[in-house]
Amino acid sequence: MYAVLLALLALLLAGVAPRVMARLGSFRRAPRAALVAWQAVSLAAVLSALFAGPAAVASISDGTHGWFACTGEDGCAATIWWLENRRWVVLLIAGSVTLFVLGRLLLSGHRIGTRLRSARARHRELLDVLTAPEHAGRADGIRVLDHSTPTAYCLPGRRSRVVLTEGALAALPQAELDAVLAHERAHLRGRHDLLLEYFTVLHHSVPEPVRSPAALREVRLLVEALADRAAVRASGPVTTARALLTLAQGQAPEASLGAAGDGTTAVRMRLLAAEPMPSIVTLGMYLYAGAVLALPLALLWLAWR
Amino acid sequence: MSPNASAPRLGDLERAVMEQLWASEEPAGMSVREVLAGLPAERELAYTTVMTVLDRLAKKELVTRERDGRAWRYLPAGTRESLTAETMRASLGNTTDRKAALLHFLDGATPEELDDLRAALAEVEQKRG
Repeated sequence: MYAVLLALLALLLAGVAPRVMARLGSFRRAPRAALVAWQAVSLAAVLSALFAGPAAVASISDGTHGWFACTGEDGCAATIWWLENRRWVVLLIAGSVTLFVLGRLLLSGHRIGTRLRSARARHRELLDVLTAPEHAGRADGIRVLDHSTPTAYCLPGRRSRVVLTEGALAALPQAELDAVLAHERAHLRGRHDLLLEYFTVLHHSVPEPVRSPAALREVRLLVEALADRAAVRASGPVTTARALLTLAQGQAPEASLGAAGDGTTAVRMRLLAAEPMPSIVTLGMYLYAGAVLALPLALLWLAWR
Repeated sequence: MSPNASAPRLGDLERAVMEQLWASEEPAGMSVREVLAGLPAERELAYTTVMTVLDRLAKKELVTRERDGRAWRYLPAGTRESLTAETMRASLGNTTDRKAALLHFLDGATPEELDDLRAALAEVEQKRG
């Protein structure tokens, strides 16, 4: 019974909840709480899928109270052998479901982790021979690539780097540059790379028909919106919005090279104009996160009680 | 020496060696001794240090090497410009890996988007300016 509930919950949290949450545009006005909710939902989905097996085992672990309870004296004696075999079947199915879910997670985590780390390592090697930690009197550790296309990014990891191009330095006035740097440093400080890696791994371990690309896009947008708040604290909303436009103008001619984004820049700019979320709503989002996470734990507890 | 103390120095050295190779006009590449001779004397580098640095750069596929008798001659794997272009491609290319590997301030923009962005900026200026 609880095993079925947990399996349904896993489907609901992996397949339905992300699609609904990706449509809740107002979540973006409280990106931190929204990301906590997204993490809670995804973790609860994983836990539900993993717990379904153990919960099924719990339902047959006690022959007198579980599904296969003996009711009549004669029936019991006759069906003991049959029941024993049924237990093995349930155990086998439950065990394989749990192992399958765990295996998919580990495999997807390994694949994505390896690919990300090797791409970053290669990028760091290139950066380190092409750029110096100090550049034209700057001693802030920012790497400046000698290229005219304005762009700004950070390379996360243990030896992280904030990277600008000469084009970005030329295009951005100081206040806008401060906004850009605050944004990138917020990514590094908050280890947003790990957050994105977690969601990417989960996304790829969910079976194809269930996974929602819109959910992954939404989470990426929330991470950017969160870093934008650091930029706003450093330079204010108007300067941050101007910095976005300045870099967009510089990169637009490169669109033919495949630099086209997913069109979230305008959304981010309009978020800069939005009123902050009322704190009561933010509180509600945290409560939602806690409740969702408690569900699979409660169901497993009920199954084993 | 702790890794923290040596890591930045090694990075500097690798960059200095690459600069040497990029600056060299020699199409056959440079030997370890030639690279060593080109580095500033005040660094007091040992032959083996430069050899180790070149070996590391070869492992990273930033330099290629060819046998010349008993020694190696080293060539940069690409010009400074081509390696910069490779870095920019990795950064600007629109692949899923890039999206997760690096965190950008701006996720690209098309010329068609710019009008919408200007309108959005006007909204921000009006409401929060």
